Amino acid sequence: MGTFINKIVYNLFTFDEPDSVGAKLQLRFVEGYVIIYSYYYMWSWGYYIPRLSELVLPLGMANYIPVELFYDYNLSVYAALFYTIFTLIAFNSKKYRWLYALSFLLFHLQYVVRFSQGEIPHSTNLFGFTLLGLGLGGAFIKGIRNQLIFAFGLTIFFAGLGYTSAAISKLVARGIFWVDGNHLWLWIGEKKIDRLAKFGEFEYTFMQELALRSRTIATSVLIFGFVAEICAVLMFFKKYRWIFVSALVALHFGIYMTMNIFFSAATWLLVIIGFPWDYWINRSSLASVLNSNSFIMKYILYQDEPVTDPDQREEV
Amino acid sequence: MEVLQKYKRLLIITFLVNAVLVATHQGEFWPFSIFPMFSQAGNPWSRGLIEEVQDSSRTDLWEIKPLEEIENRVLTMEDYGIHEIDFANYISKTKVWDDGKLNGLRSTFQIDQYPGKMWMATRVRGYLTENDSVVIETIPMFLFTADTTIKNPNLFE
Repeated sequence: MGTFINKIVYNLFTFDEPDSVGAKLQLRFVEGYVIIYSYYYMWSWGYYIPRLSELVLPLGMANYIPVELFYDYNLSVYAALFYTIFTLIAFNSKKYRWLYALSFLLFHLQYVVRFSQGEIPHSTNLFGFTLLGLGLGGAFIKGIRNQLIFAFGLTIFFAGLGYTSAAISKLVARGIFWVDGNHLWLWIGEKKIDRLAKFGEFEYTFMQELALRSRTIATSVLIFGFVAEICAVLMFFKKYRWIFVSALVALHFGIYMTMNIFFSAATWLLVIIGFPWDYWINRSSLASVLNSNSFIMKYILYQDEPVTDPDQREEV
Repeated sequence: MEVLQKYKRLLIITFLVNAVLVATHQGEFWPFSIFPMFSQAGNPWSRGLIEEVQDSSRTDLWEIKPLEEIENRVLTMEDYGIHEIDFANYISKTKVWDDGKLNGLRSTFQIDQYPGKMWMATRVRGYLTENDSVVIETIPMFLFTADTTIKNPNLFE
């Protein structure tokens, strides 16, 4: 058991060349992508929340604190402002990266206030794991590189666990007959109403027409999605990670084509963390361009940190 | 070596916190979740639409109708800053429609700013029949104007 856990830890938290420009760029890109994209959520929620007036469903911390307070006094806008300041400082400093922990708490708070109306969306959960990883890293781990590697590995761990858990939830709720194509027909009808409500009109996509025409095709679509999810936990192992991540990316495009829902934030994060970009960058001309740019190397790619202890690359 | 041990400790602690939080909060404590989306396959669902009403004396105003009958009179919520999923949840999950809940809906609609408009808050129900076809029907709930709210007399005494 111990050896198995060690193998997972090794696969999640090690890079073949952790001090190479490719690894640093991939890690910093994950951090920058999550932070910049999260501003969209924090600010759009911040300005939407004052329209709310009734608590319908308390989620997370909303079970313990009076989140209705955030409907007034523009508190949600201040939360977005402090979140922006904290993350900008954390991204650009070595000393104050623990501010990511406060940023994570602010994001949680804004989420539970915004979604106190009954909807439980999962589009930002992957971001949440990266933010949590950055926060825990900033608080408990020394060195930007090590903190980023922790956030990266934690995101992959919970991504794999989350998708597989989604498949298990389906099995528990409906058993193997979850994949019956008529269930997809019912969801297409549901999403039709959402589109109609939002845009006042609706047209079936090519994939929806195909699925509605044939129960076999609809069932095949659900089988593919189910298999992609149940296997997701195998992305823990870096050698085969790209295969399982590719299947999940395909799953997301499938959801988009059949249900008009695109989880863009999560899908692109999967693309960034799930493929060996570090290896590809190191073998491209971009690596030498970056290596010769002292500003990027010093301020973005934390060049002045000591290189990794070789022991770290060995299996624990 | 040492840093990997630290990663391992933090990972195990985070995993355990995740397990405790989802177990004690019905599977949801952002970002931790059991991710149950789409697990309830085949179950009837309930969503929401707003029908733009031109004539409030219509005889079928308060009757349950198939979607096709109101499809061309649906209000584009995006144009009015109303979040369609929030509205759907609000109208389908509210059990007791007291003044507070109705005013909450009015405040979401902000219909006071549109004199002359009549909006029917409509619940939409979808389900599979025994021969596996999908039925979608619309249930008128409340008619909102700039200064009044009228409940469906067939549903509310």
